[in-house]
Amino acid sequence: MTMLQHALLVLLLPLASAAVIALFLRRSGGIASILSTATAAAIAGFALLLALNNDRFSASFEWLRLGNFALSIGFKFDDLAALMLVIVGIVGLCVHVFSLGYMHEDAAKARYFGGLSIFMFSMLGIVFADNLFMMFIFWELVGFSSYLLINHWHENAAPAAASKKAFIANRVGDFGFLLGIVMCYWANGTVNFTELATKADTHALVISTAIPLLLFCGAVGKSAQLPLQVWLPDAMEGPTPVSALIHAATMVAAGIYMLCRINVLMVPDALTVIMWTGAATALYAALCAIVQSDIKKVLAYSTLSQLGYMVAAFGLGSLTVSHAHGADTHTIVLAAGVGAAMFHLTTHAFFKALMFLGSGSVIHGCHHEQNIFRMGGLAKKMPFTFVTFTLGVAAIIGFPFLAGFFSKDAILYLAFANNKAVFAVLALTAVLTSLYMVRLWKITFLGAPRSDAASHAHEGGLTLTAPLLVLAVLTVVGGYTGIYPDVFSGVFDLIPEAHGSDHTVILLTSLAVTVLGAGAALALYGSTATDSLQQKSPGLFGALTGLQFSFDRGYEYYVAKVQQRFALFLNFLEQIFLAGLIVRGLAGIVGLVGLGARALHVGRLNVYVYWFLLGIVILWIYATFNF
Amino acid sequence: MDISVLQTLASRNLWGAITPEILLGGLALVLLVIELLFPKEHGRIVPVATLVGLVTILGGVLFNAPSAYLNQETFNGLLLHTHGGQIMRIFFLLAAIMVCVIARVSLAKQSLPRVEFYHIVLVVTAAMMLLAQSNHLVLFFVALETVTIGLYILVSYYRTSLTLEAGLKYLVMGALSSSLMLFGIVLLYGVAGNPALPAHTAQSMHYGQLAAFLAANPHNFLASIGIVLVLAGVAFKIGAFPFQIWVPDVYQGAPTPVTAFLAVSSKAVGFTALLALAGTVFASYAWLVAPVLTFFAATTLLFGNFAALTQHNVKRLIGLSGVSHAGFLLLGVAAVSRAPMAVGAIYFYLFAYLLASFAVFGVMAHVAGANDADQELDHYAGLAKDRPFLALVLALGLGSLAGIPPLVGFMGKLFIFIAAFQAGLYGLLAIAVIGVVVSIYYYFGWIKAAFFETWGKSVDAPTHPERTPVDFVTGFALSALALAVVVLGFYQGPLGAWLSAR
Repeated sequence: MTMLQHALLVLLLPLASAAVIALFLRRSGGIASILSTATAAAIAGFALLLALNNDRFSASFEWLRLGNFALSIGFKFDDLAALMLVIVGIVGLCVHVFSLGYMHEDAAKARYFGGLSIFMFSMLGIVFADNLFMMFIFWELVGFSSYLLINHWHENAAPAAASKKAFIANRVGDFGFLLGIVMCYWANGTVNFTELATKADTHALVISTAIPLLLFCGAVGKSAQLPLQVWLPDAMEGPTPVSALIHAATMVAAGIYMLCRINVLMVPDALTVIMWTGAATALYAALCAIVQSDIKKVLAYSTLSQLGYMVAAFGLGSLTVSHAHGADTHTIVLAAGVGAAMFHLTTHAFFKALMFLGSGSVIHGCHHEQNIFRMGGLAKKMPFTFVTFTLGVAAIIGFPFLAGFFSKDAILYLAFANNKAVFAVLALTAVLTSLYMVRLWKITFLGAPRSDAASHAHEGGLTLTAPLLVLAVLTVVGGYTGIYPDVFSGVFDLIPEAHGSDHTVILLTSLAVTVLGAGAALALYGSTATDSLQQKSPGLFGALTGLQFSFDRGYEYYVAKVQQRFALFLNFLEQIFLAGLIVRGLAGIVGLVGLGARALHVGRLNVYVYWFLLGIVILWIYATFNF
Repeated sequence: MDISVLQTLASRNLWGAITPEILLGGLALVLLVIELLFPKEHGRIVPVATLVGLVTILGGVLFNAPSAYLNQETFNGLLLHTHGGQIMRIFFLLAAIMVCVIARVSLAKQSLPRVEFYHIVLVVTAAMMLLAQSNHLVLFFVALETVTIGLYILVSYYRTSLTLEAGLKYLVMGALSSSLMLFGIVLLYGVAGNPALPAHTAQSMHYGQLAAFLAANPHNFLASIGIVLVLAGVAFKIGAFPFQIWVPDVYQGAPTPVTAFLAVSSKAVGFTALLALAGTVFASYAWLVAPVLTFFAATTLLFGNFAALTQHNVKRLIGLSGVSHAGFLLLGVAAVSRAPMAVGAIYFYLFAYLLASFAVFGVMAHVAGANDADQELDHYAGLAKDRPFLALVLALGLGSLAGIPPLVGFMGKLFIFIAAFQAGLYGLLAIAVIGVVVSIYYYFGWIKAAFFETWGKSVDAPTHPERTPVDFVTGFALSALALAVVVLGFYQGPLGAWLSAR
């Protein structure tokens, strides 16, 4: 098989699995879960095969042609896609295996695993897409499968509402994305990534601020940036493995991936907007995370914050690097934003998936208790989960020599070099990050159990622990770019590296923020059943809680007071004019014409013959009239 | 006459060029032999033999494509083997296969001889295939009459009073239209052979010669009458307004497989003829043909859709919806002169129509009771619960006929509309869009009956005739149709390229 056929197979396998499950296995959850997991394993295997084989290709075939407009479906498999493919493949497999244990008792297991398969299909489509239009199709499919999976326990009101919210928030962003695609096609005559890059090289690209900003709207929705971030915390109503796969490691990262794909379209003004959006999201979400009491909500806000980090890194843009070659020094412009963002995306995917699955293990062990103030003392009850989770926490707060340390440093250095204000925001965010992560870790695992559930907690089976082990290993080693085979060099060569005095500054800052945040958390929070911050400083706590709900309140006000009234007004007009006059009236006329036409077919032959001859005469008169 | 002249003429009779048609005729004769040899079992053997024979011939045609005789005149100019002719050959073979599949289901509910039915279907199909390649008005007329006479018999095959009445109506109306068309042909023959006119010819029935004559006399009065009469005769076959008057009664009275045959193959015959005549032979009379086609298209679109709205009998409904499909196709034909892609669009539309129509007719054959003419919308109540497979096929077929994306019917309509847009037929396009909107109403009324209405006041007294179970062959055919309706909607690929190739 050629590499292209491999890629096609990888893309179509999960679709086939989803189709088989939907058509034949709806009642047999056991077989469905095995089929779906086997598919995920095959995807992971083929993904590694494709990525490690240093064969990069692109292929495209025409799907639909209308005059000059052609829609094509194609593969663009470069280093960027290879890296993303490996992340999706590995995390996807871990989550599938974890789900085998986590969803074992679920009544609708087949639907769940079918949903996972259709998600894998959609996500792989985004990874392989060679043009914006194809990406948009899979972008929507990803949104659909996310909706399906958040809504898995649709009997309850909260998941149903959360899935709706996620869907609507994403639609808002996607509208801008679609406009951006149309505008890009209109301005440049193509939406193919390779052709766009070629045009950029020959300076034939139409420079516009609107196109990248509109496309960025799609990323704002999918990667949950301000102001569309409201859906992601609510999406935690879905099963925990889904949160790990979709709402931490892969789908929400699709926005970053898309930005890296359209890097050639970026202009400085657009990058500034993107940078500040990311930085604001990072800080806002970190502040919100401090006051959460639900273990998954903390992780959700932390994800938001880290996604903000990546978006800010992308927005920081390129970096001019000097290379000293003996006597002569030459400078090159490095697309460092892409490198730093993708690097952090990679490490984040591993340690955030690890923590989400760890939280799943905790929730499973505590019989679906999610409030961290009703946990405590789990370090002794669930030692394996404790150790792996600790690694995840250490990685995200930037503990030296773990994955997050390197990728966070790359971003901080880029910010330090390009924009000091953003550097300050990101450093502050890093302090907050280690504060809330250590808080979570201490309250959950240390001290004494504070509920029956916590005191009877137990470690899950092999299907729950094995994925944790794999991800923990990746969390430890994932930050060393040297260990990656040089097949990803197209991405990792772009990672900015600090030298000299800058290096010292960044290293010291990084260590300082980690120690500061962690120390504060250790000092402030004890193993109590209530939030220590709430007791010591209720004002600050209230302000942070208010911050969390500020956007929701704003949207609620808009929907209830503005949109609802406008909709009622439109409904009123619709009732009178559309439904009353136009629809009823037209239907009446159409019905009368229909009755008239029916009356024509009386069933008598002599009438038909006359009608036939009359037809000839009518035709003749008409044709003569046109002579 | 010198014998060598005859020899030269005979040497142009390339029998190999019409192998599929000869095989069909042979197969038809074999069926009669089977009846003689197996007087007891022929009821089971004949349909199988017919299907196997048809599939084999279809395979042979596909295997030998493109035909060795492509773009070549044979039989002294009677036939011209064009790319379009090849497409329609395959079309008619596919249609014949599906007619036989449906006939297996439908004929099983009657106590009637079977052999003659299949025999006539095969002969009529062979005539249709010849007609699609005809290059001469005499062959055209003879083939058309072979088709029509075969259909006279098929329409009244069940011999109930309603069926016989339908057959009589079809006979009288058909004879009327044939005579008018023949009159038109005679006028053309006479005027083209008139030595007083420039470019007169002795071979005035040959398409090429006739076209040359018409090009030299672009405003001849007699020729224009002849053209209008010939077009009117063709319009009868396709059920274009105002010659659609026979459609509802005949469609209702005819057995379901014959209704399908009329709706798909007979209509396609008309469009093949129309493409050949209006597009090439009468091309120099565009000043006359274009308004006539516009008139046909506009009135047919409006009439077919509006008249279908008030029907409760599904056979009448599908008949009148077929009239509206003729309107969409006429829109394509009207666009041919200014937008060459319209030809490909028409072929694509015909295939889309074939797939969706036979899916619907296949379901109809299963739902119908012993009284074939009595098929009401109410009979479909609760079909989705009772027979989910049939309901799904029905929904896909009707959705495609209505032109719902992403089914194949949508793409068919889209291509036609693009061609019409390129040709600048904005007024007709507006009418067509109105037609689409209206059509959705009655198609969805049918889907609604099958999916959402469970009259079932009492379970033990169903108000519908008993539904036939789906056997393997029919199930396979219907699945294939449904799958094609979906897949071709997403991806036209090689089929689209083949249909639009010149």
